[in-house]
Amino acid sequence: MALQTDIGNIANIPYWTGGDTLHQVIGIIIYIIIVSIIFSIFGYMVGWLERKLIARAQYRHGPTYVGMWGLLQNLADLIKLLSKEDVIPENAFRPLFAVSLPLLLALSIFIVLLLPYSPTLQATNLGFGLLIIFTIVSFLPLLLFTAGFSSGNKFAGISAQRSILVLLSYELPVLIVVASVAMLAGGYSLDGIISSQAAHYYFGLLMPIGFVVFFIALLAEFERPPFDLREADSELIAGWLTDVSAPYYAIALFLDYARMFLGSVLVSILFLGGWLGPSFLPPLFWILLKAFIVSVFVIVVRATAFRMRVDRVLRFGWLWLIPLSLINLVMTYIVFVR
Amino acid sequence: MNITRINVGPVHPSTHGVIRLVVDLDGDTIVNVEPHIGFLHRGVEKLAETRMYMQIPPYTEKLDYVAPMSYDEAYVATVEAAMGIEPSEPAKYARTILLELQRIASHLLFLGTLCNDIGQMFTVFMWAFKDRDMVLDLLQEAAGSRMFYVNMRLGGLNQDLPPSFAEHALSLMDYMEKRVFEYEKYIEKNPIFNERMKGVGVLSRDKAKELGVTGPVLRASGLNYDVRKANPYYVYDKFHFNSKTLQDGDNYSRYKVRMLEMQESIRIVKAAVRAMPEGSAKGMPVKLRSPVPPNRISIVNRELPRGECLMYMVADPQKPYRLSIRSPNFINLAAIGSLARGARFADLFAILGSLDIIMGCVDR
Repeated sequence: MALQTDIGNIANIPYWTGGDTLHQVIGIIIYIIIVSIIFSIFGYMVGWLERKLIARAQYRHGPTYVGMWGLLQNLADLIKLLSKEDVIPENAFRPLFAVSLPLLLALSIFIVLLLPYSPTLQATNLGFGLLIIFTIVSFLPLLLFTAGFSSGNKFAGISAQRSILVLLSYELPVLIVVASVAMLAGGYSLDGIISSQAAHYYFGLLMPIGFVVFFIALLAEFERPPFDLREADSELIAGWLTDVSAPYYAIALFLDYARMFLGSVLVSILFLGGWLGPSFLPPLFWILLKAFIVSVFVIVVRATAFRMRVDRVLRFGWLWLIPLSLINLVMTYIVFVR
Repeated sequence: MNITRINVGPVHPSTHGVIRLVVDLDGDTIVNVEPHIGFLHRGVEKLAETRMYMQIPPYTEKLDYVAPMSYDEAYVATVEAAMGIEPSEPAKYARTILLELQRIASHLLFLGTLCNDIGQMFTVFMWAFKDRDMVLDLLQEAAGSRMFYVNMRLGGLNQDLPPSFAEHALSLMDYMEKRVFEYEKYIEKNPIFNERMKGVGVLSRDKAKELGVTGPVLRASGLNYDVRKANPYYVYDKFHFNSKTLQDGDNYSRYKVRMLEMQESIRIVKAAVRAMPEGSAKGMPVKLRSPVPPNRISIVNRELPRGECLMYMVADPQKPYRLSIRSPNFINLAAIGSLARGARFADLFAILGSLDIIMGCVDR
């Protein structure tokens, strides 16, 4: 088969999975490698950009010395963190503590692998892709809870409590908005959601309220300011990460970028048309561009927002997010579906 | 009721120095806060008894490392009172200008750290520090160094203000006026900021009186007491300025009072620079043997950026017999218990930030 320019065709999963078992296994491995490379480069660049942008907002230069424009600073940090001693505190409940953070990262990357990146670059086209992704996403705060709770530190304990409290305020709106997306697209397939956006308009335009609610709730879901209550530096030192040693902290940093990537790709798939765009560039470019813009927006919010208090987050969730997401659901039904 | 006891500090991101707070929490609500102090105790009062008069300013300065010159001046004024020295007219103006610049620098730091404490990590902080740096540049021009000045001498300063000082001060004050306006515009319209600040940590008028808090903390609770007005020193009585008072006594008022005070300080600096008389502001050079103080006991009170400081000195011929310092921060810190009780855990740091304590001054 001729090598084609579109990167999606190299990992043309329908082509590979159509063959025998060997073909399928090779296909899956190639797919994992390609997506991991995309995700690592994207996450790394966004991590660098976050440091640079926030530095600009604060009259600083950010990293400048390691590599060109400080591009290698994050890599240097990662190497430093990974080369340090791994200490598990005496108070910690060892098995849970050792498992929680790696599992968090693994689950996040698992979701990253489940997402579709172009018409050909996707793992499976399950009819219930949206459901399975949000099932796993709702597991993440639970693992944050166990990570904080098992570390035996009181600050981490408070952070774990907060993580459950805050869960009540944003998990529901996320699911309601996802339900209205599914309703609009007529199914839970991510592929179907994008093709339905190709047929009509982007869902971000069709239901702006849902878009905004989803974006805010995702900020809370993935611990971005102003909802970074679990990791509130000025109150809880580092929240659930207070007692973790350097290698675990490296995992946590990686997790941060994984979640950023995950969130921004999800927003671009559900509301910004995913890989749709002018055809002079490959679909993969468009989805990454949209995710990148969403990430920049998240970073700008971090540079400017004050942190909310726990009770206020609950109040905000119940008084604003949930009613708005319900209104969005009803309006979607009345205007587009009925 | 299930009480969790948490130890906040002495190593914690937002304790403003080395203070240890033992916090009892019921869920997320604070039941009790107990401050433990003394980590920065250097025995300045005792040290002063073993040093000659003009060897002491470097110690008193380090009490409040955010506004060192104000403590420097308070101490030198005490010695002047003991020796019966009256600063020259230009020296009075120059000291007024420098003290007000120091107040602006101190309040800018307050603004930055407060925003850090309520979770705006480092953006406002860096902005405020940039502006504070410009004020420090000006102070460096006048005194010769940026952080610890030791520029007060008996009867004046270590050197005259440089000829370019007036021009630089006026242009910086114009810039600062704009910046304070910008800060207010950006910060006060933020709903999360208002939510975190308004109605939180209310210090009632009576409680404020009872605790003896001073400075912006007192004026935010509705009591108009400002040493610059009540007992004017230098040339404060020659200029028109208001000591701003707000009624609510919450975090927001404590923040707002300081912002208003910065504007007043800018006005004072501008007026004083314009009215500065000709002549030398230089004081006496530091000599091994200072003049013998005729007054045995001298008391001086000053309005520092953080409240009223009172220095009490019993004089011996060459060195103080006893120097006693009423630290405004120590007394303001005492309010933390009654302010934080019933507040949320996250509010504890907003309250601590709004009290704006400096541990060097608390521990002495």
